[in-house]
Amino acid sequence: MIWFIMIAAGLFTFATRFIMLSNGISNRPPPWLVDALGFVPIAVLTAIIVPAILIDPADQTIALWDNPRLFAAALAIIAALVTRQMITTIGVGIVALWVLQWAM
Amino acid sequence: MPKAQNSPKASQNLSARSEFWAGVREEMPLIFGVAPFGLVFGVLGLESGLTPWQTILMSSILFGGASQIVFAQLWAAGVPPLIVGGSVCVINTRHVLYSASIAAYLRHLPLRWRILLGYLLTDEAYAISIRRFQHAPPGPHQHFHLLGSGMLLWTSWQFSTIFGVLVGGTIPDSWSLSFAIPLTFIAIVAPILKTRADLAAAATAGTIAILGQPLPWNLWLITAAIGGILAGWLVNRLNHQAGATS
Repeated sequence: MIWFIMIAAGLFTFATRFIMLSNGISNRPPPWLVDALGFVPIAVLTAIIVPAILIDPADQTIALWDNPRLFAAALAIIAALVTRQMITTIGVGIVALWVLQWAM
Repeated sequence: MPKAQNSPKASQNLSARSEFWAGVREEMPLIFGVAPFGLVFGVLGLESGLTPWQTILMSSILFGGASQIVFAQLWAAGVPPLIVGGSVCVINTRHVLYSASIAAYLRHLPLRWRILLGYLLTDEAYAISIRRFQHAPPGPHQHFHLLGSGMLLWTSWQFSTIFGVLVGGTIPDSWSLSFAIPLTFIAIVAPILKTRADLAAAATAGTIAILGQPLPWNLWLITAAIGGILAGWLVNRLNHQAGATS
């Protein structure tokens, strides 16, 4: 079953990459669709980021002040905005988490 | 929108080989971001209960980082297969944009070339090669640039996944390596939040992702994604209307 879903999703993904390169489709996607698809990365990735930071993996509750991941993520956001480098952002966030987990 | 083909710039007859290596060279800095991501996916795949082969081959079959992470996490949570597949598909629809944007430069190629380059059309390869198509003088071998950037990215993604699968078991939990996933996504999202519509999309998606936690089958993820897209799209539309009438 997992192979079936993986291959089906893989074919769909290939189709999204190939579709506009095929000669069968001569039109560009409608502007409303282009606008909507432009928000996919922000919406999807934020939906993954926020629970990964706020929800405590131990007991599945929302953790705010007593939460080293929240502060580590805040530092990572600053690093991302300043350096725009993935490796620096990951480095700052991970090291901040280690330090905070040790300190808190 | 691609316009370079109509531009009067002189054609520059770079060889296929120099176009290819220019693509490889320009893609190189992005590998520093992609390799840790692939490694994390390799580790997470095993943690989620996928077999080593399922984890490694997913990197070729889906070849899309965020969608592979989601696949592994939802699968591990016992979400029904159709919802796993549907979530992966929603995440990957964004490639239609890249395909549309780059089509003008690739449409004339034989089918086997378009299939190969379509397969290699990831966020990172697109970002690098569209710059060459739009800003450098057109050349008869320019598609080799995308072949170079795409193949370097593909190779790094496969090797880093395999490396993650091999070393995954030896990395202690106390390193909190899974935290690298939200960090990777923060590195992508934070710099691209520019307009009010972007902020609305992020705020809505984040809020639904938290409030929707009790939903069955991890439906919070796809609900948050669609809610965020709608919010961004609506704010964008309202802004445009306000701009048009003022």
